[in-house]
Amino acid sequence: MKKIQIASLVILAVLAIAVCLLESGTLTWLQSGLLGVISPISRSGSVVKSTIGTLGKDLLSLDQLQAEYERALAENRKLRAENNGLRDLQRDNDHLRQVLGYRERSSFRLVPALVLGHDAGVWWSTIKINRGSADGIAPDMPVITDKGLVGKISAVSGNISEVLLITDENCKVAAKVEGTKEQGISAGSRDPLGEMRLTFLSKLADLQPGQKVYTAGVSGGIFPSGIALGMVKSFHARELDGEAILEPSADLGTLEEVFIVTGAK
Amino acid sequence: MRQGILFIILLLLLPIAVAVQDLLPAIPPFQARILLLPVVFCFGVMALPLVPSLFFALATALVQGLVLLQIQSGQAELGLTVHVVFFLAWAIVLQMASEATHGMRWEVHALGSAVVTLTLLGIEFLVLCVRRGGFPLEMTVLLRIMIPSLASVLIAPLLYFTLRKMVPVFIEETHLPKKPTFSS
Repeated sequence: MKKIQIASLVILAVLAIAVCLLESGTLTWLQSGLLGVISPISRSGSVVKSTIGTLGKDLLSLDQLQAEYERALAENRKLRAENNGLRDLQRDNDHLRQVLGYRERSSFRLVPALVLGHDAGVWWSTIKINRGSADGIAPDMPVITDKGLVGKISAVSGNISEVLLITDENCKVAAKVEGTKEQGISAGSRDPLGEMRLTFLSKLADLQPGQKVYTAGVSGGIFPSGIALGMVKSFHARELDGEAILEPSADLGTLEEVFIVTGAK
Repeated sequence: MRQGILFIILLLLLPIAVAVQDLLPAIPPFQARILLLPVVFCFGVMALPLVPSLFFALATALVQGLVLLQIQSGQAELGLTVHVVFFLAWAIVLQMASEATHGMRWEVHALGSAVVTLTLLGIEFLVLCVRRGGFPLEMTVLLRIMIPSLASVLIAPLLYFTLRKMVPVFIEETHLPKKPTFSS
């Protein structure tokens, strides 16, 4: 073996040990750098992907377009009617919250973001979005859609961020069940079926399929209270507590646009 | 010089592979993912000589570790050590396979990609089981390990022949098998 090869192997060994000893702060910084490097590819790839996706949609026959137009018109009328009703509810809701002094917790500053893609990591449920520290995004900010909670920011670069979804085992959310006093901790599972497990419930909890679950908003937590989290699919008592299987409120498989909660209004 | 250029091209391919694999859709019904990084890794370590291939393995480990980095309670859940040891070990094994088959062959690359993907996902799963507790080895978990491995077998020849077309001049001088001649 030549001297240069031996020297190279020594350098490799030193580098390998140095890489293994990196601390979490340095790793986060390096991860941010890597996100920055892949950001242009992810962004342009996402544009190409959505363009290809819309190509098929654009090739509709006149009959299909007419049907689509009529469906959209009917939906528009329905939404207008619902909106009128919701405006009254909003007024009542605002009034009640004002009375209770919770107004500041009920309204958020939201930053819209496009989903660039679902990460290919098999054991983690994460997505990448097209907002980063340049848009005021920071780790642990909640991410939502109009349907409910999506997850939290787990890594941030200049103009791209990673979101840890609520179906990930590491994304733990304090939650309460609608119409009951039951509270527990929701988290995803390693068995990747897109479900969540709500644990630490009472063994005697009377939960029915279809009951809605909301974030509990515990003090010191990162998720505000009252955001829809999921729906109860089943409940069973365990040795020490009760566990409910939840289906996420937001359809995490087809996310296209999300909102990051950057703070209260 | 040519090996150096090939090394740089392969290094550039790593973040591209990460970005592209994130853009690829999941395979229903178990939402299994297609992983390109192990396929690029296998090509790199088989195309390069031993020492550069070890450096390439280290770079792959760094990228894979950072891609999967999740900090829990101030600690990296799956540290880089696992990936460094894993990719360095596989680099040596694939180099030996390359030597045994008298140069780089697409069949060995395809098989290597599948085995590396399978073992990578398996080891990540085992480490997570140790860290988080529990061992939920169910059919969906097994399929999530096996489907990406099978997908690697199909994707590996595409990458192999594309790269050979794109960078033939760099690879010719490294580990590609020499064409048999009548005199030999």
